[in-house]
Amino acid sequence: MEVTSDRQSSAAPTSMELDSSAGAGVDKLPPKPEFAALSAQEMDGKVEFRRIPVPPHRYSPLKKNWMEMYTPVYEQMKIDIRMNLKARKIELKTRRDTPEVGNLQKCADFVHAFMLGFDVADAVALLRLDDLYVESFEIQDVKTLRGEHEKRAIGRLSGKGGKTKFTIENCTRTRIVIADRKIHILGSFVNIKVARDSLCSLILGSPAGKVYSKLRSVTARLAERC
Amino acid sequence: MAPNPSPVGGVLEPLPPAMEALERLRTAAPPYYLTPSPDLARLAREASTHLFSSLLPFCTNPLPLDRLLADESFDAEQIWHQIEVQSRPLLPVLRRDLRRFEKMAPEELLGVKVPQEDGRGGKEEKDLEAEDMEDPGEEEEILEDEQAEGGERNVRRGGGASDSLLEGNESDYSEDGRDDEDKDEDEDEDEDEDEDEDEDEYLIEHEYDPQGDGRENEDPDSGLFAKYDDFFGDKNKKSSQPGDKKKKWRSSNKLEQSDEEKESPGDTDIDDRQADDAELDSQDDETLSTFERQSRKLKSEIEQMEKENLAPKTWAMLGEVSAAKRPKNSALEVDLDFEHNRGPPPIITEESTDIIEDIILKRIREGHFDDVQRAPSLPSKAPKELKELDDNKSKKGLAEIYEEEYAQTTGLASAPLSSSDELKKEAGALFKRLCLKLDALSHFHFAPKPVIEDLSIQANIPALAMEEVAPLAISDAAMLAPEEIFSGKGDVKEEAELTQADRKRRRAKKKRKFKAEEAQKTAKKARGNKNLDRPNVSGLGNHALYVDEERSLFRLDW
Repeated sequence: MEVTSDRQSSAAPTSMELDSSAGAGVDKLPPKPEFAALSAQEMDGKVEFRRIPVPPHRYSPLKKNWMEMYTPVYEQMKIDIRMNLKARKIELKTRRDTPEVGNLQKCADFVHAFMLGFDVADAVALLRLDDLYVESFEIQDVKTLRGEHEKRAIGRLSGKGGKTKFTIENCTRTRIVIADRKIHILGSFVNIKVARDSLCSLILGSPAGKVYSKLRSVTARLAERC
Repeated sequence: MAPNPSPVGGVLEPLPPAMEALERLRTAAPPYYLTPSPDLARLAREASTHLFSSLLPFCTNPLPLDRLLADESFDAEQIWHQIEVQSRPLLPVLRRDLRRFEKMAPEELLGVKVPQEDGRGGKEEKDLEAEDMEDPGEEEEILEDEQAEGGERNVRRGGGASDSLLEGNESDYSEDGRDDEDKDEDEDEDEDEDEDEDEDEYLIEHEYDPQGDGRENEDPDSGLFAKYDDFFGDKNKKSSQPGDKKKKWRSSNKLEQSDEEKESPGDTDIDDRQADDAELDSQDDETLSTFERQSRKLKSEIEQMEKENLAPKTWAMLGEVSAAKRPKNSALEVDLDFEHNRGPPPIITEESTDIIEDIILKRIREGHFDDVQRAPSLPSKAPKELKELDDNKSKKGLAEIYEEEYAQTTGLASAPLSSSDELKKEAGALFKRLCLKLDALSHFHFAPKPVIEDLSIQANIPALAMEEVAPLAISDAAMLAPEEIFSGKGDVKEEAELTQADRKRRRAKKKRKFKAEEAQKTAKKARGNKNLDRPNVSGLGNHALYVDEERSLFRLDW
């Protein structure tokens, strides 16, 4: 034992000495370098830009909720945001310390969702969760309705005081915006699908009760699965 | 003197009284015959005796009797039978002769020789024949009356009457105290009373025949007043002969014919049949025994039944009969038997309605109705929690919802209460309070909680936090530990366990204690009542917890 240890101990310095040049390569490799993710800046160094137009009917809500919009974008997402009054557009720009590249897109989506008509509180979910989407479609994509029928279809979709819409929203954890002929749904993919199905059935003419019962069963199943 | 124009000399002597008797009988008013009068009876007997004897020479066969025994001792039936015995074979002969005489011219009639045993002269013959004309006429009249009556009776009896029937009827019609003549003419009246109007008419016509013009009525050719013999001459014939039946049939046909065509004269067939019948009758007249009579009766019944069997059945016997096959309204007369599958309908009277109404009122008052109640289904398992669809605008933003969801899935936060409904919360709170109280009650006597399968969303928190093992409330009946209750030292013995020495020891101790106390008391009294020092108090408030020498705790209430 001693011999070995001696040998080792003796060998060690000798090996160390001998292998000083080689041991560094064999025994003691330098630790792998760990590179942090590239920031947007470092990646290309370019500043990315987004411009989102503001429709006139969202002008005053934007004015009201500007700070609520601005704060998460600027502070959490680290994206510069400003309103170009002349052009009536919101402009988004990456900063140097923007952590991820995707933040800009998320902020753009967030602003776009707000412009579509969603609440800030709802649109903020886009910033926080990755897998939320906005889907838009028109009534005439489902069924061509003219005149009175169209109006009635819109009424059916909303329900009395909007309760049908709220019901669907609450059941499927989505947010729905009905803007004349266009319908926008914000939520996760599966939930969007369920909400879209119920909205389509409403457009096609089924009564609200039927839609509710279907919703109930579907969401129960979904909840079970999760 | 007498209506008899030329009485015969030899016979004249007994004649006048007899003829007189006849005359008187004839002229007697009908009402006299209604009541039995001995006078009329006597006359009748005389007359019948005379007639019998006068007819005797005309009888071709020798008769067992040579004179009529019609004394007072003989009753009507016997007299009648005697007459019958004579007249039966005689009648056809007389009838034949009569017909012959009718055909002949009146001048020829005078020259007819009368067959007599005495062998009288022509004049006598003439007279005789005139007399005979009369007598036989009268006799015939009377006899034919009798026969006619018999015939009438039998005509009325209907077709196919037997000989024995005829005889029986004739015997039935005899009554005590009445004579033949009376009987005959009474029978007429009896028949008037007893039988139909048709018969009455017929009889009346016949009765009002004063002088023997009955002959015209009795003309067989006319067929109007046909007698029994015209139809059924086979009174005494035996039914074994096949020809009889034919004749009987023929005679029955004849009867029908005559009934229908009363006024159609000139039936030559009747003459022939009558002749044949007369011959046959004469044979079997006296040879009838009871057995023969009975058998004849039976055979007639059999014939009747066979005739009925051959005839077409009544509609009621035909099986299935439609309305077309039976006469109108005939179903009303027949007692039809239906199988009624239902009971008779209840008869609604005032009483029944009252009863029903009483029941109804009683039920209403009691509230005891027979409503069908759904059977309560036992809750075998907890009712499924239906997710209630909230149709209000959600207060949380979408981001918050997802945040919560995420937190749940990663387990950072506790699960929120499911089905957060205000009412439910309130109900839950109330129930909790109630349960608390109940548990407090029930924890004195522990009973395990019944297990109900609850299909509710469970909060993901440790079970210990949910359940409480210790009881919420306990009685302080057993709060003190035993040693707190009693802190004694050594061996504690009961009264029963003490030995004598122990008892002595205890008593000594007691005495010492008592003495010590007494000493203290006196010392206290000596000191005075000023210093009301409390004894050693352990400092527990107003309740004096007095610590004794023996160091036992007990309370003293001031």
